[in-house]
Amino acid sequence: MLAYVIRRIWQMIPTLAGVVLLIFFLFNAVGGDPALVLAGKITNQEQIENIRKQLGVDQPYPVQLGYFGFEIATGFTCTYKSFTDPDRAKAKGEGKAAECQSVRSWATNEEVPKILITRIVPTLTIMVPVLLLETIIGVLLAIGVAYVRGTLTDRMIMMVCTVAMSISFLVYIIVAQYYFGFKWGIFPVQGWTDNFWKNLTTYAPLPIMLAVFVGLAPALRLYRSFFLDEINHDYVRTARAKGLSEKTVMLKHVLRNAMIPILTNIGIALPGIFVGSFLLETFFSIPGLGREILVAVNRSDFPVIKAATVYLAMVTMIINLGVDVMYKAVDPRVSFK
Amino acid sequence: MMASRANRAIAHAITLLLVAFLTVGTSADATEKKTLRYAFRTAETGFDPMKVYDRYSVGILENIFDTLLTYDWLARPVKLVPLVVEAVPEAEENGTRYTFRLKRGIYFADDAAFNGNRRELIAKDVEYAIRRFRDPANRSPYEWLFENKILGLDELAEKAKKTGSLDYETPIEGIRILDRYTIQFRLKSADYSFLYIMAMPNVVPVAREVIEKYKDDTMAHPVGTGPYMLTEWTRRSKIVLERNPGYRGHTLSTEFADPNDPWDREAIKALAGKTLPLIDRVEIYPIEQEQPRYLAFVNLEHDLLEETPFEYIEQILPNGKLAPNMVKRNASVFREEQLEITYDLFNMNDPLIGGFAPEKIALRRALVLAHDRTQEIDIVRRRQAIPAQSVIPPGVVGFDPGFKSGNFLDYNLPKAKALLDMYGYIDRDGDGIRETPEGKPLIITYKYNSGSQDQRQLAELWAKCMADIGVKIETAEAQFADLLKDKRVGKFQMASSAWIADYPDAQNFLQLFYGPNIDQSNDARFKLPEYDRLYDKAMTLPDSPARNQLYREMSRVLLSYAPSRFGVHRIFNHFLYPWVKGYKKHPILFTSLRYLDIDVAAQKAGMN
Repeated sequence: MLAYVIRRIWQMIPTLAGVVLLIFFLFNAVGGDPALVLAGKITNQEQIENIRKQLGVDQPYPVQLGYFGFEIATGFTCTYKSFTDPDRAKAKGEGKAAECQSVRSWATNEEVPKILITRIVPTLTIMVPVLLLETIIGVLLAIGVAYVRGTLTDRMIMMVCTVAMSISFLVYIIVAQYYFGFKWGIFPVQGWTDNFWKNLTTYAPLPIMLAVFVGLAPALRLYRSFFLDEINHDYVRTARAKGLSEKTVMLKHVLRNAMIPILTNIGIALPGIFVGSFLLETFFSIPGLGREILVAVNRSDFPVIKAATVYLAMVTMIINLGVDVMYKAVDPRVSFK
Repeated sequence: MMASRANRAIAHAITLLLVAFLTVGTSADATEKKTLRYAFRTAETGFDPMKVYDRYSVGILENIFDTLLTYDWLARPVKLVPLVVEAVPEAEENGTRYTFRLKRGIYFADDAAFNGNRRELIAKDVEYAIRRFRDPANRSPYEWLFENKILGLDELAEKAKKTGSLDYETPIEGIRILDRYTIQFRLKSADYSFLYIMAMPNVVPVAREVIEKYKDDTMAHPVGTGPYMLTEWTRRSKIVLERNPGYRGHTLSTEFADPNDPWDREAIKALAGKTLPLIDRVEIYPIEQEQPRYLAFVNLEHDLLEETPFEYIEQILPNGKLAPNMVKRNASVFREEQLEITYDLFNMNDPLIGGFAPEKIALRRALVLAHDRTQEIDIVRRRQAIPAQSVIPPGVVGFDPGFKSGNFLDYNLPKAKALLDMYGYIDRDGDGIRETPEGKPLIITYKYNSGSQDQRQLAELWAKCMADIGVKIETAEAQFADLLKDKRVGKFQMASSAWIADYPDAQNFLQLFYGPNIDQSNDARFKLPEYDRLYDKAMTLPDSPARNQLYREMSRVLLSYAPSRFGVHRIFNHFLYPWVKGYKKHPILFTSLRYLDIDVAAQKAGMN
């Protein structure tokens, strides 16, 4: 297994390089000019050029790409003045020395690693409970619905799921915020504090409830189909023929086998919890990563956008590896090759 | 016996503890902090005065720093008054020299950068701040304020571009420190707006020690001489200001108050004679979405709702009257005509709609005349706007209330059609779309900011109105940054735009069409020698009837050549609960914190 894990980690390097290349060329091809956003209301070409020079976006693409790779590897941005600004380097005798500093947001000058670290906590405060609740409730309901398949209950639940899936998340947020937050006063309309427990018990419940509600319908339909696939297999009939109780059949045999596709599905959804929902975060004023990325996009704050994208790619790859390893735990027949 | 004595002792001790606890509780109640909570509609960027330009960050700066000059709080139209200087300087040597004398005994808020010493404000702090605007390392968005302005400063900035750092030591001709508290500026040419510039909330003295101590993150360490200090900042989520204990205090001047203005009367009643500021703590929450910002106010989570979202205006202010739930809570609304203009640019370099040929001018004027501004105001703006008569909004120096755009901007479909017919823009192939005199279809692309619902509706209105005269408008949405770029480099045919006053002089708006400002702020790329001549002449004059006459002529030129369609001046509605005292919105300054009070008892009662 160790060899398998090492091989997978090794394979991550070219994948990550591909992601980095894609991000780099995507932002350079379609992104706005950050210098113009930073320059203010009135500016001239010379000032814009100065800003572009300071940001390093005036450099040839291979040089910029090199900087980008270095930033990802170290978290620092370094420039050799003799290369980027020969006149200045000559004047100041900076020929050999490199100037290094932590990668910073172009808009706010905040350190990018700090942005990611501080914003991830609120995001996880919302998204971890969402994933747990969605999975647990989804699996339990799905197994129940699969058990009563074909009945009126099954059909009614599936119909409700279809309707629920047809409505935009934004509508749920707006309506729920209005009724639960304002009209009935059950939850605060919005807010966040530095206190984790207060956030979890006061400000997070409504966003969590909404995300779980919205995520539950598709999860329930999907998991139900996994269970139905398993229920129709011969081993289930055999188990019943042996006289096992329905509870044992469903919870021990069917559930265990259905867990493989369920795990795959969770694995696909898992990276999302590390980015958060920008809709939830902007509507409920949660200072999470999703909201941060949205603000960064509006400001053409490329260091933040690039860092968040690379971070998400890495998280996705690591989670995929983790899920693959977990298959073995769930199903001993799985072998690593 | 012993046991009962011990029990009694314990009982006494508990009683004493309880009394002590209750007493402490009571005394804490008695000194309860006056706290104001409200929201900004956009996230801030930071608090280094020379590095930020968004109005929300600048709004915070207004409370932490002191400008040399400011505006009288109640005077309308606005009036410059001294803040940390002894008097508003007179323009010397035909508007090319200004001398500022700082008041003595004004101190910066305590900070570790001062090593435990009280740090007095001196003239060198002003000089240091002005030089920082031209330091290329700061990438100041307000560098233009001091560009081509102060003698010797441009040369210093030029040198800095080569060496990478600005020389803060070598004296220059344009900035003279006459003594510890006196600073004199010598300008390259006459500039009668210079005093307004010195009243901008970004143009504030800063202490060099603070900037150097926190050089890696000056955005997070604002230290000024103002009434508040930044005590908590969760970026883009929460900003907390608390009263600066070392602040000298100020009072409300009632000299220019309008006795007929109920807001003035209320402010005087609440604040006159008191040492300000009165609020201990201000909590500001940036909330980008309109619904939670609105609901936080009606849900009593906030005390104030500034810039009420237009989509909720009919709920809270139906037909211009307070909604019953607001009346019940005794809330009030302050309606503010913004010192701004919304306008639509025509690219003067565009081969289809640009240029000065008679048929091009006719085409632009026809487009302007066919645009139904009443629909814009009634439907898109929800009646929260007034039609612009020129590029100059009411309330700025140089605004002429008698100036009417008349037949230039008023909706007139027959005239628009006649103009197009007259100059050969006719539908030759009968497809409903006119062709140019050269035979090309009259299809124009209109770019707008995709992040705004209002902008989308305005684009649709353009398309609808122009269809009525046989002109096809293709709407193209763009991200804010992309739109900015396209406008700056002239990659558009028509585009939406807006300008908010930096200072209350018509010049700040008229410069938008000044030829030399192409590639800077003149996004229409309008270049007309006649206009530039008038502008140059106006710059040499102080506020006077002669200058106003020039402003009028420039407005007429703009209407005649139509490099832009002037839209509206928006009205913002600011709601407040009755426990917020002394409120009045200033047209230039963004926040009112220096002049507010909170009735804590009423606030508590209201929230319950």
